[in-house]
Amino acid sequence: MPKKKLAVYTANGCRVCENSILDVHFQVSPFTPWADVGFWPYLTGSQWQDLDGDHRFDLCLFAGAVRTVDDRSAALRLREKSRLMLAVGACSAFGGMPGLLNLNGAADKADLVVPEKSAEPALPRTESRVSALSDIVAVDYVVPGCPPPKNLLWAAIQALICPGECTSRISYSASRLPDPISQSVASGILPPRGSTFAGEKAVCASCSRVKEEKKFTSVLRPYEIDPDPGRCLLEQGILCQGVATREGCGGLCTAAGAPCRGCFGKAEAVFDPGAKMISAISSTFDSTEAAEIKTMSQGFVDLAGTLYRYTMPAQCVLLAGPAEDEIHAGDVV
Amino acid sequence: MQATLFEPLRWQEQPSRVAVYNGSEERNVYFQITAPKDLGTICQGRPVEELPRILSILGPAHHIASAVVLDRLFNAEPPPMAINMRQALLQTLVFTHHLRKLFFFLTSLEDPLADRQTVGKSFGQPLFSRHLFDEIMQCLSLAQEAATILGGRADHPLTAVAGGVSRYVKPAVYDRLAEISDSCVSFAIRLTEFLGSDLFENPEVLESLPAVSFEPMPALSMNDAGSIVLHDRTGQESDRFTSDDVFDKIELFREPWTYEPFACLKGKGRNVFDANDSDGLYFVGPLAGLNARLELSTPYAEEERRRFVDTLGPPPHFTLIAAYRSLLVELVRASERMTGLFNPEKLTGPSTRTVPQELQQQQATGAVESPQGLIVHRYRVDDRGMVEEADILDAASQNNALLCRTARRAVEESMNRNRSQDETKRNIEASLLPF
Repeated sequence: MPKKKLAVYTANGCRVCENSILDVHFQVSPFTPWADVGFWPYLTGSQWQDLDGDHRFDLCLFAGAVRTVDDRSAALRLREKSRLMLAVGACSAFGGMPGLLNLNGAADKADLVVPEKSAEPALPRTESRVSALSDIVAVDYVVPGCPPPKNLLWAAIQALICPGECTSRISYSASRLPDPISQSVASGILPPRGSTFAGEKAVCASCSRVKEEKKFTSVLRPYEIDPDPGRCLLEQGILCQGVATREGCGGLCTAAGAPCRGCFGKAEAVFDPGAKMISAISSTFDSTEAAEIKTMSQGFVDLAGTLYRYTMPAQCVLLAGPAEDEIHAGDVV
Repeated sequence: MQATLFEPLRWQEQPSRVAVYNGSEERNVYFQITAPKDLGTICQGRPVEELPRILSILGPAHHIASAVVLDRLFNAEPPPMAINMRQALLQTLVFTHHLRKLFFFLTSLEDPLADRQTVGKSFGQPLFSRHLFDEIMQCLSLAQEAATILGGRADHPLTAVAGGVSRYVKPAVYDRLAEISDSCVSFAIRLTEFLGSDLFENPEVLESLPAVSFEPMPALSMNDAGSIVLHDRTGQESDRFTSDDVFDKIELFREPWTYEPFACLKGKGRNVFDANDSDGLYFVGPLAGLNARLELSTPYAEEERRRFVDTLGPPPHFTLIAAYRSLLVELVRASERMTGLFNPEKLTGPSTRTVPQELQQQQATGAVESPQGLIVHRYRVDDRGMVEEADILDAASQNNALLCRTARRAVEESMNRNRSQDETKRNIEASLLPF
């Protein structure tokens, strides 16, 4: 079987996803027996002209959000060159933390940077809003997380570059994958397009904290309480998004005493993660008195920035739709 | 004017490129960061207690710096075990960061992804066994495991909170932490032997590195007592202050050709970058720490520092090879500090944190010596603890001038030696890597 060709790239984001891919190669198992890396600027120093010509990639691992015109151009070019596109990490999959700029009017800052002298180089223009990769090009598969856990990243790489050749190696991560993905991996075929390499249920399903009765009597900011290490954080009054977030991390943050902030995006059955959380919390207010409910509600701060911490561009339904600079004359909006 | 672009640059944490303009009379070289971070904007309107998690996307040490600011905002003194746990995490982060940089340095000499049977061909004969890459990454994996035990996650940690840490380390992993620190120390020492004699003192390797030195600049670093010390270009201490005074001493200015601001000392009247004028500019990082001429408190690191001085002469140093060797010295020191801190006595105590009662002040500053160099955070919040303004002085801004000047030197050196376009790009990348 001929070796596959890989491309790896990060647009706007930190380099942790790329370092994780490198770590998978050295710490789990090298993927070079099955694939050659044809384009990886961060590690091998590939340049844009390396994409010239008619060679193509079997898989592109694309990390980072799309913030500048250069990021957009990179996404379009790598999509054109790649048979499969894998969004790696929360920034690429949902817009990630840079997506919070959409709340603060990233558009206001666009076009500010202009070279003063003709002999000075220009900078790539920032777009009017931060976008997820799927807002720009078709994405075939997603590995969510900030950063993605190595077992899920490894499962995706194994499934997409050497289907059917190493099913035993994938078994340790397959238990957390949805049935269609693990079955297709086990049978040596590509998982269904659009699949997410993570669980289907909510984080609560794999969080080790004990859940009893969810009743909100007061809202607490995380600094105000030293939470009981074994009890559900939400039940202790801390806004924790495990209810609305896709599982796959194994409750990593809650195990460390920190509330879930949704870096895996919404769970399969959830329409909008913020709306789901509002619904979940408001239905558990332990009061029927309007004044008490109002007081409790006022305890929540920065709901938009918290509930859509990693998902504002892609999963906040109210803000979905093309950015102003993507709307062309004659378009029906 | 015709521009030559070197893009994208290898190993850089931010999207960046170098643009070279060759005019009839002069050559201008620009090191550009091509995407804005806007972390200050992202933080505005967020609850201040969320900032340690948000700002860790700048680097895991920012998580700890942010928690230090929260301690001060809430006037919540962390218990000793929490301070030790944060310090243990920080040393682990220094170790992983420097080890990865040295891995990248070695991969500039050999193909990092070549099949394991393949040996290096860069110099006709292999410089080292490819097994070294595996050993480095195995040790990196161990340090990441320690960072996960201490921080909840290795790359974006979770456990530092206002007034301490969010949880204890489980007693079941004490032995594992001790094993990890022992492995890290012994590997760091082996690496000094290999890199010191076989690579950094190997004429063949020195020839392959761009002979880049940069003009002497003041260096800023945090000492073990937590004071921030400025050393002038001769290596003499010229100022000493606390983190509260940092923004009275340092300011930022911007140039239209890069998204990264430049940090400079206040009162020097500097508001533009001029590659030929270093007045008011300074740098941070491992080399800045070593240029402070202080003896190190851990034995193997001090031994390696002395070897550094014996080979290169007394500091201050402003060369690329000194910058790489400073990574090695700090790597050894971090591993030894890990050994001291990965100790059940240091990581246990009656409580993990002082639970803050209410906001005690509306502005606070905190600083940490991160793997990349000094970082300082200052937050201003409203009476509900919502962030109104977040000023983040990170190593990228403080080293921006240094990187611009180093890139220019690398380009000039390559052109003087008639290097090809590819070789010039590699020279630029190797010159920027250790900072």
